[in-house]
This record gives sequence, C-alpha cells and structure tokens, in this order.
Amino acid sequence: MAGAAGGPQQQQQQQPQPQQQQQRVACQVFPERRAQGGSGQGLLSSVFSNDQGCQRLLLKTLQTNPYVKLLLDAMKHSGCAVNKERHFSCEDCNGNVSGGFDASTSQIVLCQNNIRNQAHMNRVVTHELVHAFDHCRAHVNWFTDVRHLACSETCVRDRAILSILAVRNISKEVAQKAVDEVFESCFNDQEPFGRIPHNKTYARYAHRDFQNRDRYYSNI
Amino acid sequence: MADAGGWRPPRPCEAYRAEWTLCRSARHLLHHYYVHGERPACEQWRRDLASCREWEERRSAEAQRSLCESERARVQATRKHALVWTLRQSPPADWHLPLPQEEKDQ
Repeated sequence: MAGAAGGPQQQQQQQPQPQQQQQRVACQVFPERRAQGGSGQGLLSSVFSNDQGCQRLLLKTLQTNPYVKLLLDAMKHSGCAVNKERHFSCEDCNGNVSGGFDASTSQIVLCQNNIRNQAHMNRVVTHELVHAFDHCRAHVNWFTDVRHLACSETCVRDRAILSILAVRNISKEVAQKAVDEVFESCFNDQEPFGRIPHNKTYARYAHRDFQNRDRYYSNI
Repeated sequence: MADAGGWRPPRPCEAYRAEWTLCRSARHLLHHYYVHGERPACEQWRRDLASCREWEERRSAEAQRSLCESERARVQATRKHALVWTLRQSPPADWHLPLPQEEKDQ
C-alpha cells in the first residue's frame, strides 16, 4: 500500500478552493503537479525518461494483470470506462509515496520516481483503481468523513489505520475508532471481486465470475 | 425463481469443480485460516457440483431447486452488511470531462 507521506504539499500557483484541495486521496504528495501543468520530468534526461519507463510498466499492467483487468471491466460496467491517457498520469513525487487517486480530476497519479518494477506497478495500479472504483460507484466523502477514507483503505485493520494517519492530521485514537466502526462492513464489501483475491488465481476466478454475472443473476 | 423453460445452472459445472478444488487446496486453507481463524467449508461446492451434473444429465427439478437455494444463500451472505457510503445512481459527471489544463490549451 502507499508509503508514509508527510501530508499533502501546498500547490504553488494559487490557493486552491477548499473543495478542490480536499479531493486527493490517501497516498498523495504532489508538490509541483499544478505548477508545472502536469507531469514533471525531474533531473534525468529524456533519453532514459522516467515517464517512458512508467508508461511502459503501466501498459503491461493494464494488458496483463488479472486484478487490474477485472477492475477495469467493473468500472466500465459502472459507467467509468478508464482511458489510459486521460485517467493515468506519471509524475515525480516527494517522499516515498507510490501513487494516489485525485478525485477532483478523476486521475490516478503514478509516482514514476518511486515505482521500480513491474510487480510494484501492478500493486499500485490495483490499489488506486480500487479507490477509483469506490469513487465511481458511491458517494465517497474522501476528506469530510474519515470513516469513508477508512473504508476505502480497509483490507488489513492496522494498515488502514496507518494509511489514514499518513494523510490526516488526526490522533491515532480517532483513526482507530474510524476503522473499527467501519471494519465489519468494509472488510466484507469485496466488490468487485466477490472474494478476497489472495493471488492471481483468485483474481482470475473473480474475473470469470464477473464476466458470467448476467447468466448468474438470471438463473438464481 | 426463473421458469423451468430456459433455466440453466448459474455457473457452468466446470466452475463448481474449480471452486471446490480451490477451496480444498492447502493454499486456500492457509489464507482462510489466517483471515477468519477457522477452516473453510467446502462441502457446499461439492453438493453444487453434483446438482449441476444431475441437471446436465437428467434435468432434475430437485437439482435445480438445490442449486438456486445454494446460490441465493451465497448472495445473501454477501449483502448482510450495510454499506458505509451511499451508492450512486449514476457515475460521477466529471469522470470523462477533459482535464482543466487541456481545456485551457484548446
């Protein structure tokens, strides 16, 4: 899941609207995102561009990873078809954060300076797509309701608490309470997988079930 | 329940076999025990597989009933917890809109 972050950096060019500022979720630190008008390139030359490597890893994930393929299908079915160019952005990030979901622009940000290999990209894209999926299917108050944030981060209780503490200036007790309140419901909400996908086999089975859903629901 | 005309098992029989096999695998036992603190119950997948085959071979009404009941119980089990958030009626309106800087460029 997302590495610990120091909290969202302030944008440079203008004071953002409170609502706009508050739309980013969990794993995000994007100091120059708005100022540079999109993806920053950092110090490396464009020959070994982080962006090209990031795009290459991302494409492979989107084409081959069973978790991601199911999430993409489920989102399309929910009316949020994902377009690689529109909904993903490779950028340089502060700290050791791997990525984040920006609800204000409907974009998944991938921290190209911190994603090192294919397996890592697979995990980050899966994680952020879950946020995007929740955003697509529900009214998630990412910043005004800690319980909602806790819900989207819930897979393992202690990890959920850490994720919340990384991005909200609240006490550990408040974070724990939020997770405890929602844990039972959110842990059992396994959409769109219908099960906990412990590994790719489970994810493939889940995808197969998803593709079969019309037959399933019309025959029970 | 769907009419007898046009009904077929909710899943292909191979799917019931695959789920039964996965359920009984050592890896699944470990995962399930780690998460829930108890062994998984796999017997129902075996019963469903038998019902599915019986339907395929003899179009048994009992097999159909048993399968429907079993799958409905599964669906019920996934819905017993109320969601923390409200589901949307339609996707977010701005999902497909161009990015703000793209609008400025145009």
